[in-house]
Amino acid sequence: MILSLEAVTGGYGEVDILNGIDLALEAGSILTVAGTNGAGKSTLAKAVVGLLPRVGGRIRLDGRDIVGLPAEERARAGIGYVPQVANVFPSLTIEENLAVVEGVADRRGRIGALLAMFPALAERRRFRAQSLSGGERQQLAFARALMTAPRVMVLDEPTAALAPSRVAESFERIATLARTGIAVLLIEQRARQALAISHRGAILDGGKVALAGPAADLLADETAARLFLGAG
Amino acid sequence: MTDLLELAIAGLMSGLVIGLAALAVTLVFGIARFANAATGDTMTLGAYATLGGTAATGSLIAGGAIGILAGAAAGVIAYATVFRKLERRSPVAALLASIGVGFVIRAGLGLVYGHGQQVFQLPLVRPWRVWGIRIQPTDLEIAAAALATLAAVFLILHATPIGRQMRAVADDPDLARVSGIAPRRVMIALWALAGGVAAVAGCLLGIKTVVAPEMGWDMLLPAFAAAILGGIGHPVGAVVAGVLLGIAQETATPWVGFTYKIALSFAVLLLVLLVRPRGLFGRIEGVR
Repeated sequence: MILSLEAVTGGYGEVDILNGIDLALEAGSILTVAGTNGAGKSTLAKAVVGLLPRVGGRIRLDGRDIVGLPAEERARAGIGYVPQVANVFPSLTIEENLAVVEGVADRRGRIGALLAMFPALAERRRFRAQSLSGGERQQLAFARALMTAPRVMVLDEPTAALAPSRVAESFERIATLARTGIAVLLIEQRARQALAISHRGAILDGGKVALAGPAADLLADETAARLFLGAG
Repeated sequence: MTDLLELAIAGLMSGLVIGLAALAVTLVFGIARFANAATGDTMTLGAYATLGGTAATGSLIAGGAIGILAGAAAGVIAYATVFRKLERRSPVAALLASIGVGFVIRAGLGLVYGHGQQVFQLPLVRPWRVWGIRIQPTDLEIAAAALATLAAVFLILHATPIGRQMRAVADDPDLARVSGIAPRRVMIALWALAGGVAAVAGCLLGIKTVVAPEMGWDMLLPAFAAAILGGIGHPVGAVVAGVLLGIAQETATPWVGFTYKIALSFAVLLLVLLVRPRGLFGRIEGVR
């Protein structure tokens, strides 16, 4: 397992939002985490990337406990993160959004490779990120998170701010990421579509894992479908 | 008309100083997210250090470099000893602490140098007359130094990795962290830069007028007014607004008098907060 969570608790202030979460993620696989609003999905993402102020339990990256590691060191250790909103630096140009990332071995080469991967960004490399559309912003957010060549990508509702016509493209991009060997922790409201490209799934309820298993089994589970997956 | 133009030139000079002070204020606000009331007293420290450095080395340029280093050091020390500990507290706590830091600097300078006025011993030169308008060569040197400082700051912000990181942290501190940017390093660079800029402002103000322990504190209101007028957290806005404010203050002198020209800053401050809180260049959310 490249990433494992053992009895993870935590939250903001005194109140726990996560109440003992156990999950595991293999290299090259996608784990979708779904659940109702307030179930703790985004809080879980923040716990993994190091932005949650208070975390208990163990989070292991390649067997090493990273709970005490600050967010910037987790990023350098190989965890990429695409937040749901505010996922680019708006006043920096597209190129600067990539160049600003620390912990990159061949910065110039990496920027070139990522701009080749996202041609729409390459054309506008000197434009400020605030001028980008929702879809372009998401491409930039992916590119920024990929700068460090991460082994784990944490994606928090990557399709939330997209036009419906862009959603399928976004899921295809996520599937491609996994095919390159990156482990993807995918927090997603569009649970059915997310599970369709995932290897495993987990459904959170009240800060706990209510259901977990192979993605295909969850999609076929009538209880999960009725309570958590919606029509999506 | 000639008098008004001469006042406008004097306003441009004081505006550049206000602009530098406002730049120091807005840099800290944009990244550390609070209004640093110790900026004025860091200016004073820079002026005294330049004065001392000039006396010790016999060179104003060497003295200026010592002043900049002193301002930068004061900024970093204030961050390490006070502001770092308040990072997770409210901006009001940091603002109040900065008033205390400013008071400590001012009291220390008063203790060491006394409360009398000191001046830079510069050679007297005749003013130039251009189309009947008097221009002091010293003013041109002050303007050149201010513009060189502004160019250096903007070069650091836009053409160096640490400057890019500062702008990234100003945009979104959490996103900066998950992008591998260590906040501590950025904050140390920020405080050194803001302290250095404030010191240059103090040094130029000291050359133009006199050096006294209260000189920087007196500049705080115009500096805050310019930072707000320019759009808080917006470096270009702070400088432009500083120049506008300086010119407005000086050209208003025939009508409001020397004593009350500072009140113009207060009026601008109130007007901007009431009519256009995001300032000339700022976005609605305030911090660039």
